[in-house]
Amino acid sequence: MFAIISSIFLTIVVYILSKKMYKKTKIALLSPLLIAPCIISSLLVGLHIDYNDYDRGGRYLSNLLQPAVVGFAVPLYKYRNVLKKYLKVIAVSMTTGVVVALVSCGIFSHIVRLQNTYLLSLLPRSITTPIAMAVSFDIGGMPTMTAIFVIVTGLSGLILGPLVIKYLRIKEKLARGLLLGMGAHGAGTSKALEFGTEEGAAASLAMVLAAIFTLIFAPILTPLVLL
Amino acid sequence: MKKIFTLVMEVMILYLFAIAGNFIAWLFHLPISGSIIGLFIVLILLRFHLLNLSLIENGAAFLMSEMLLFFVPSAVAIIQYKEQILQHGSQFLIVIVLSTITVMVITGLVAQYYIRKWAVKKGEI
Repeated sequence: MFAIISSIFLTIVVYILSKKMYKKTKIALLSPLLIAPCIISSLLVGLHIDYNDYDRGGRYLSNLLQPAVVGFAVPLYKYRNVLKKYLKVIAVSMTTGVVVALVSCGIFSHIVRLQNTYLLSLLPRSITTPIAMAVSFDIGGMPTMTAIFVIVTGLSGLILGPLVIKYLRIKEKLARGLLLGMGAHGAGTSKALEFGTEEGAAASLAMVLAAIFTLIFAPILTPLVLL
Repeated sequence: MKKIFTLVMEVMILYLFAIAGNFIAWLFHLPISGSIIGLFIVLILLRFHLLNLSLIENGAAFLMSEMLLFFVPSAVAIIQYKEQILQHGSQFLIVIVLSTITVMVITGLVAQYYIRKWAVKKGEI
C-alpha cells in the first residue's frame, strides 16, 4: 500500500515540477513527457527499485488514460456541426494518414534493417496507447515495446508538429488539428489544445478515427509491409 | 474543496463509462478498446440529451489537459528494455521520427488541399 501511494505521489510531484519547468522555458525538448520519465527512471535505478514495483502504483495513473479518452467525447460533441460539415475532408485525410503511417513505418524499418519483431511493434505506434498495444498483440508485436514507441511518437509529434505547421504554412485550424491528432495521438491533441479549442476538437477526432482505422487497416496491411 | 470533489466525481463518471465500454468489448469479443466504446456511448447520450454536458465537462477538460501525466509510467518502462534500446535505439528513433514527419506532412497537406478545394466549390472563398 505504501509503495503504491509513494510511486503515485512521486510521479505526480515530478510531473508537476517538469511541467512548471517546461512552462518557464517553453523549450519543446523539455516536455514533461521526456523530463519526468527521465527523472523517475534515474531515481529507480539509483535507489535500486524494480520497475514492476514502481508500476504497481504507476498503473493507476496509466489507467486514467481510459476516462481521458472517454472525455474526448466532450470536444467532439461541442464541435459536431463543424465536424459534420467537413466530414468528407476528415474521412479522406484520416484514411490517407493511417495508411501512410503504417506503410511509411514499414518502409523506414526496412531501410534501417530492423527485424520483423521490432517492425511489428513499431507499426501501431501512432495511435493511443491502449489500442496500439491491442493492435501490436494482434499482429504479433510486443505490446510493452509498442507502448514505449507510442510515447516516443508522442514526443516527436510534440516537437515536430508545430514545425511542420510553421514550415508548410498550414493555416486551417482543422488541418492543424488533424495532423497533430493523426501524427501524435493524445500528445498531439494536447499540443493542438495549446493552439486553440477548435484545433483540439479536430485533433481529438483525428486521434479517435486513427485508432479505429488502424484497428481495421493494420491486419490487412501488415503482410504487405512485411514483404 | 467543493471544486475538487466535483472534479473527482466527474472523473469517476467518465471512468464508469470506460468500464462499461470494457465490459461491452469483453462481452461481444470486440477488438476495439473499451475507452473508445465508452466515448461513443457518451457521445450518443449527449446527442439525445440523456446525459448533461455539465456533468462531465470539467472532468473531461481536466483529464485532457493533464493527459501527459498518464503516459509517464509507461514511458518509465523503457528501463526494462535497456539492451534492446542500446542495440537498436538509433534505428527506432530514425523510424519513429521520419514516419511521424511523413504522416503529419501528408495528413496536413491532404486536409488543407481538400478544405480549400471544397470550400471553393461551395463558393465560400
